[in-house]
Amino acid sequence: MAIAAESIDRRPRLVRADGPEKVTGTALYTADLRMTGMLAAKFLFAEVAHARITRLDVSGARLVPGVFAVLTAADLPDVRYSAGVADRTLFARDVVRFEGEVVAAVAAVTDEAARRAIDAIIVDYEPLAIVDDPEAARADDAPLVHPHWADYESDPSLVRHGNVAAFSSIARGDVDAGMAQADVVVAGRYVADGSHAAPIEPRAVVARWEGEKVTIWTSSQVPFAARDGVCETLRLPTNRVRVIVPHLGGGFGGKCGFHFEPHVAALARAARRPVKLVFTRREEFIAPDRRRESMIIEITTGVNNDGTIVARRGHVILDNGAYIADAAFFPQLAAMHVAGPYVIPNIEISAELVYTNHQPSGSVRAPTAPQTTWARESHTDEVAAAVGLDPVEFRLLNAVDTAKIGPTGQTYDEIGLIECIRRAADSAGWGRPLPDDEAIGVAIGWWPSFPVASGAYVKLDSDGAGQIITGAQECGTGAVMTLRRLAADELGMQPDDFQIVGQDTAVAPYDVGATGSQTLFNNGRAVVAAAGQVAEQLRNLAADRLEASAADIVLDSGVAHVAGTPDRNVSIIELAAIAARGELLIGHGSGQPPATPEISGTTCVGDQGMAAWVAPQFSCHAVRVKLDRDTGVVRVLEVDAVHDSGTIINHLGAVGQVEGGVMMGVGQALSEGTVYGDGRQRNAALLEYKLQTAADSPTVRTQFVEIATEGAGPRGAKGLAEAPNVATAGAVANAIARLTGERLRRLPMTPERVWEVMG
Amino acid sequence: MTRTFDLEVNGVAYPLTIDPGRSLLSVLRGEIGLTGTKEGCDDCECGACMVLIDGQPVNSCSLLAAQAEGRSVTTIEGIIDGDRLSEIQAGLLDEGGVQCGFCTPGMIISATALFARNPDPTPDEIRVGLSGNLCRCTGYGRIIEALAVDGVGRADRPAESGS
Amino acid sequence: MTEFEIASSLEEALALVAEGYRPIAGGTDLVVAARTGRAPLPGRLVSIERLDELSGIEPTTEGLLIGAVVTHARLMRTQSVIDDFTALADASALVGSPSTRNVGTIGGNVMNASPAMDTGAPLVVLNAEIVLRSTRGERRVAAADFWAGPGRTVAEPDELCVALAIPNQPDGSASAYVRLEYRRAMEIAVVGAAARVDLDGRGRIIGASVALTAVAPTIVAVDGATEVLAGRSLDPATLTDIADAASRKATPISDLRASDTYRRHCVGVMARRAVEAAFGRATGDPIAVPVNRSTGIGAAR
Repeated sequence: MAIAAESIDRRPRLVRADGPEKVTGTALYTADLRMTGMLAAKFLFAEVAHARITRLDVSGARLVPGVFAVLTAADLPDVRYSAGVADRTLFARDVVRFEGEVVAAVAAVTDEAARRAIDAIIVDYEPLAIVDDPEAARADDAPLVHPHWADYESDPSLVRHGNVAAFSSIARGDVDAGMAQADVVVAGRYVADGSHAAPIEPRAVVARWEGEKVTIWTSSQVPFAARDGVCETLRLPTNRVRVIVPHLGGGFGGKCGFHFEPHVAALARAARRPVKLVFTRREEFIAPDRRRESMIIEITTGVNNDGTIVARRGHVILDNGAYIADAAFFPQLAAMHVAGPYVIPNIEISAELVYTNHQPSGSVRAPTAPQTTWARESHTDEVAAAVGLDPVEFRLLNAVDTAKIGPTGQTYDEIGLIECIRRAADSAGWGRPLPDDEAIGVAIGWWPSFPVASGAYVKLDSDGAGQIITGAQECGTGAVMTLRRLAADELGMQPDDFQIVGQDTAVAPYDVGATGSQTLFNNGRAVVAAAGQVAEQLRNLAADRLEASAADIVLDSGVAHVAGTPDRNVSIIELAAIAARGELLIGHGSGQPPATPEISGTTCVGDQGMAAWVAPQFSCHAVRVKLDRDTGVVRVLEVDAVHDSGTIINHLGAVGQVEGGVMMGVGQALSEGTVYGDGRQRNAALLEYKLQTAADSPTVRTQFVEIATEGAGPRGAKGLAEAPNVATAGAVANAIARLTGERLRRLPMTPERVWEVMG
Repeated sequence: MTRTFDLEVNGVAYPLTIDPGRSLLSVLRGEIGLTGTKEGCDDCECGACMVLIDGQPVNSCSLLAAQAEGRSVTTIEGIIDGDRLSEIQAGLLDEGGVQCGFCTPGMIISATALFARNPDPTPDEIRVGLSGNLCRCTGYGRIIEALAVDGVGRADRPAESGS
Repeated sequence: MTEFEIASSLEEALALVAEGYRPIAGGTDLVVAARTGRAPLPGRLVSIERLDELSGIEPTTEGLLIGAVVTHARLMRTQSVIDDFTALADASALVGSPSTRNVGTIGGNVMNASPAMDTGAPLVVLNAEIVLRSTRGERRVAAADFWAGPGRTVAEPDELCVALAIPNQPDGSASAYVRLEYRRAMEIAVVGAAARVDLDGRGRIIGASVALTAVAPTIVAVDGATEVLAGRSLDPATLTDIADAASRKATPISDLRASDTYRRHCVGVMARRAVEAAFGRATGDPIAVPVNRSTGIGAAR
């Protein structure tokens, strides 16, 4: 196994190119933009979970001094949209289905005037039955969130009925026979509350029209998707909509998809002025259609006395909220996590994405994974206990490994999960004596890499300075910053020789955005290809100059030299000056995404292509916690996080991803959960929705099991940004259970819930 | 009734005529045009809007601008020493303490105040000192590391050499 | 539009308050409530945080006089508060975060009258008085009698809180404040308890007071704490008795943060731990401020 142990200090660090402006306060984020004549936008939200609009009168708003535009559904094209199921409109039409639904929008000279205009809108509602419980919503006689669901245009691969927006299942082998043959059968039901991405920057959008063209600055992780959404809903061609993302203050999936760009663009068009929308923190909590869904997870596992897993049956109910957003593939993804990175010959797992009158769910960092993994890894410890095996031993026995066949029939090439488990257990001191109120828990996780199309240009200008023009979106992870190292290495230059240009749909080629941990995986390939074209140009120029064959030219340390005779060289700066008078140094690349592996013997209903994974990532987290037995308060003291994400190209950045993901996982484990009342969020504020603070932060030790993975991203890199968020909550749960004896099957594991389970 | 007064920010006296009901945050960003100070919650719960007032870290969303009359306000734009990054700025940058950057100005303000009072804090003192600044990207690990490690990467250096 | 004055003297401040101006100091309650839409900013404000008359921490023959605009950060670092009125230092060190402690004032905390206020229970067990002044004169109200309900006090609209007067504590007395918190910063007490114990020369408890946070519409004192504790050693039975007395006194609500059942249980735990910490301090155990951090109450150390 090609494993290289890495210490954090071993490699030269890649300091962020956007760092100096970020530490000096000069980096501009969307809310920082100001333009001549710019107006402030404000929305009227439903503020009720489910109701019919019986009266909507905006005439009062138009009379408020300083108001330039007031919009409702009546003012825009009647377009129903969304990936998978076209179940949504920009503004509510007739019915509001969650509290954050936009009913009207205004643009006015000041925030205060906009607020007064919103207050002057009269809206009357006739209450409708609130669909609050996704489990009950599946009943035949349950009130429907979308009575006309069958009339919506939808992806034909989706299986849906009534409040079930999407159903998927994965089956392989014979589960009934497997269960009958198993020595022990263990069943568990686990319930996870919803949670939020909660980036520190609330979203903001600025739109400005020039003639028939609109430029939109937005805090989006996915500028091309935002553009396409604007084009679809406002009926514009893509070349008349330009989306630019200034510095982006975090996303974590919460800023994927398109959200409010078309509303602001429509306001700006109506007002004939630039318009800026900035969300308050409360609006950031209630309005976006990206939050982590609540879930009910049922798992039954048959296991032999020797500890081998024979069969697993599972069922997941996902609270979709009022609209499908990008969640159509979540059921199958959740099913994959209920299966988990274990060798299980017989599985049958189904999942239902169910409409409710809650905020729509959508991609939040490793969607579906933290909750399902928390449940599955809790269950795994219970299964291990049922056959008297140590949790680490049990995982080593059953985990997928190189050349083994996974639960959906995928055979794995070289993977490092077993090594992840060993290292995490070793580093955490698994088995060592601890004080009475401390324990260590372990959990493992997996996550796919997503192969998609992605493009970049690379150019060197006359002075030899490089630019990478990329469609990729930097949301803070540093993935885009890391592209500089790839280009530099292709060209024998230094990362500092390159600047990044992008986050502008009119300038850069397409990329799907900061989503699916895909930036380095896909855009890295594009940059390598683009830089490779420039390298070829440089080699040809150098060959002429040095009277050698282009094939013999080596690019290294800023010069081109003839292989074997470093003295015969010419600097890249000089070559760039030559090129500036003739054929310019410009490369473009996208490259072919790797193919999805074949799987055998698996049948899927409602297949969304999630049963086989390209370049899967693996992890094991070991967490030491301390429990206050009198109050149920748990504190995470130490975390060992070991990850197989293939080759690590930016070590410092990778450690930052793991530490951030772990901390988000600790929050999900202990304190982050949405509380609903009457279908509305009761804790839509940072005091009551508790992110972990620096004072709560544990010591995190990160290790990477580096395997240059075939068929993955550049140099064998897999994705990384989401994987660290997968296993932590499960590990915390297993540590808590060792202390409480009785297992808590609710997430988050708040002090009161822990106290209750202790009796 | 508007109020007219000078507000000293980063050593510059800005003449203002404003509604005295406006927060310091709103005036710094909207009137003075210093947008390095961020608005993350407007509820005193995230720390992104933190500034120094007479050297003490304060959430600028919770104070009226008029209350800062006669006091010395320092924003992130005033932390840089000429064209050189402060040791804290350089340290955060070099050690991976910056990701999306939105909490970074407030974080640097807190760290600056912490080091002014306690030049050699322990990791736990750093944790408490930064406990009013939420960060969603880093998990705080690289930030604490950057500030706890003596002198690593914290030599003064030109601002533009960070890339 | 807001009318705003910066008071240059206490007399001016009192005159403006008599006219209907609302005093503002740190702004952590008023400004934030207005910005988030919970309550509009009062139309007329008088800024009092610079008044020297309200900024002192002065030892007097009777005790300590703490000006109303003394910040939590200053209280938690003032040696005489740490030494003699330790529960108040514990509480001040737990308020919000370092930045909110820098501007938040003891007077603001007292007048805001939240049942979850951290400084309230310490003030009750230390027998503090709230010093109110108006153009009509000055009066003092015992902390135990001061709060009338959530957000309400017995102060008249024209009265300004100018100081807290805390009497000298008897020799052999010590105090502590602990709270239940779900995270270690930017938190509000889920429940909390302050305790004061008075020991005689031989280290026996001769008097005690326990007050509770966030389990009633106001801060409440536990009835008969002295009767429960006097003359007894702090064995498990004694501690169970004081915990039970606290839980019995509690009339908590169920809300987002906790159920009434859990609050009732936990306030007993907090009362027990506050008594233990106060007793420890009284017998020379150097338990650092705040107890929550130095002994890991509410979360591990």
